[in-house]
Amino acid sequence: MTMVDDFKFLEKNGFKLLPYALARSEDEAIKHAKKIGYPLVMKVVSPEITHKTDVGGVIVGIKNKAALSAAYNEIMENAKGKKVGGILVQKKARKGIELIIGGKKDVQFGYTVVLGLGGIYVEVFRDISARICPVGKSDVKEMVMELKSHPILLGMRGKKAIHMKSLEKLVLNVCKFMQKHDIAELDLNPVVFNERGCDIIDVRFKRSK
Amino acid sequence: MREQVKNLKYIFRPKSVAIIGASGTPTKVGAVVLKNLIEGNFGGDIYPINPKYEELVGKKCYPSVLAVKKRIDCAIIATPAKFVPKILEQCGKKKIKGVVVLSGGFSEVGNTELENKLKKTADKYKMAVIGPNCLGILNPYHRVDSIFLPMYKLKRPRPGGISFVTQSGATGTCVVDLAAQFGVGVSKFISYGNGTVINEIDLLEFLEKDRKTEEILLYLEGTKDGKKLLETMKRVNRKKPIVVLKAGKGERAAQAAFSHTGNLAGNYLSYEAAFRQSKVVVADSLDELFEFVKIFNQALPKGNRIGVVTNGGGLGVLTTDVIENKKLALAEFSKETTKELKKILPPYANAENPLDVIADAGSELYKKSLDILKRSPEVDILAVIVLFQAPAIDERILNILVNLSDEKKKPVVVIAVGGEYTEGHRKILEGYGVPTYSSPSDAIKAVKKLVDYAHFTRKTR
Repeated sequence: MTMVDDFKFLEKNGFKLLPYALARSEDEAIKHAKKIGYPLVMKVVSPEITHKTDVGGVIVGIKNKAALSAAYNEIMENAKGKKVGGILVQKKARKGIELIIGGKKDVQFGYTVVLGLGGIYVEVFRDISARICPVGKSDVKEMVMELKSHPILLGMRGKKAIHMKSLEKLVLNVCKFMQKHDIAELDLNPVVFNERGCDIIDVRFKRSK
Repeated sequence: MREQVKNLKYIFRPKSVAIIGASGTPTKVGAVVLKNLIEGNFGGDIYPINPKYEELVGKKCYPSVLAVKKRIDCAIIATPAKFVPKILEQCGKKKIKGVVVLSGGFSEVGNTELENKLKKTADKYKMAVIGPNCLGILNPYHRVDSIFLPMYKLKRPRPGGISFVTQSGATGTCVVDLAAQFGVGVSKFISYGNGTVINEIDLLEFLEKDRKTEEILLYLEGTKDGKKLLETMKRVNRKKPIVVLKAGKGERAAQAAFSHTGNLAGNYLSYEAAFRQSKVVVADSLDELFEFVKIFNQALPKGNRIGVVTNGGGLGVLTTDVIENKKLALAEFSKETTKELKKILPPYANAENPLDVIADAGSELYKKSLDILKRSPEVDILAVIVLFQAPAIDERILNILVNLSDEKKKPVVVIAVGGEYTEGHRKILEGYGVPTYSSPSDAIKAVKKLVDYAHFTRKTR
């Protein structure tokens, strides 16, 4: 499955993703951009590339048509020699706190849902909390409080608390999704949260065999 | 409850016990178990079984359980593994409902087939079987004891309200020994080994209904049915606190996991999640297991406000530090409490929390202060620091603390820091069920667990 198929599958299952479209040419990219609106992010779609950032397959903060054209060509150049299915044009996420929400099927306990502080230091801090599915809203509240970084999520130094209802909905939906489709592993990472809601930037999942 | 689980009562409260593989060689398991049952004053009939002997320690020895005319409630098997299925079949025919298989040499060494045979026979006759590969059980109330370790090497604890469920025999041994040492009262001890017929979930269900069990200690290495364990822990913990220690936390997820989540979520994370969801009390070490377990014989606090009484200022400050660190509260004495305290305190002492009754305070001043604080509605928990080293403190303080703890109105913890002399007093207090700690941090950590548990039960009741 390609990234676009994954995105579509998640949307069908009640996950709201940032507006996106697949462009197979520069012209198509420009058309999509007009519809979605700037600023944008572009990502290469290729079955042969797992770490898109490492090969220069992701360009962020595209503010206008000129930048869009340049980014399109740059990504195509960087992906030369690889099978490319197109370039994903996606609305840039709002500013906020990056969280990771994931799931894993455990041998003993079945589907588990994990919430953690996201971003590039996720493996360093391992600030995570987990629950066995199914979970309720009170579980999500407890998961938040178990994070060392919970004061950041609850708002500090003049920043407002994140939109808790969106988080609850997302965590509950992860459980539902995993159970329905027998998912072995799932990442919504990162998901950017602010006081108004959340934007899911990237997803990755694998069904059980 | 499954019939097999119900039949555990024949193991814990048998009127008669057969020891299969009883022996005259003192170092053999079958010899130690027989000796322990006799010397432990087991009240029922004892039948040694071994075709090689006519008589053992003055008791008639039978070639098999089938040769015994009278009814047998419980059999303890201590023979080589290969004979176990056949012996179990005989137990079934003899209508023995409870069996403890001490023998090792089953699935733990790859001999799964033999273990399957054991299970089949147990299921066929609806026998409750503990083990194989275990230490078995101990019920101090009924003086039944299958632990095959000599009494002079391993002390047995007094009867009490704590039941201990352990997968590991080695850990079980240490816990039994320490429980005896610390004066912790035990209701049932069960080392369930491979858990082939009766596993930790069955035991939790049994102990849930067991009248003598007020609190459960669970030492876990793994489980075969996480979902059921979670469900059972959730239900039982609401009625009786479960303190759990999980071994094997280091087990990390494979680094080649597909996702970040896969990478982050090692095996222990799921257990941790299940513990959090069921609100059981999690201990991170054997030390903590004991530190936590002993506080749960106290009344549950109504809040998190601690009143501290001390005869040493510094320890009061140290205790306050931990209270703050653990997000508990130092009680603010009301005007009334302060007024009452001023009446009894010497003029140079301050009626503040921590209440420093000053080094030359005798036991009597402790009593008066505690009498006031135990009635003060703004104090939920009493933490009593006693410097036994102070010259004015005498034995009377022990009585005061034991009585206060026995009232079971507000939880009491005692903090006594010091060497040999203090240690002696700590032990006496613990023997009477007063949770006593050798440092402020150990004490307050345990208080925190009690407060959290109380908070949870208040929400669910």
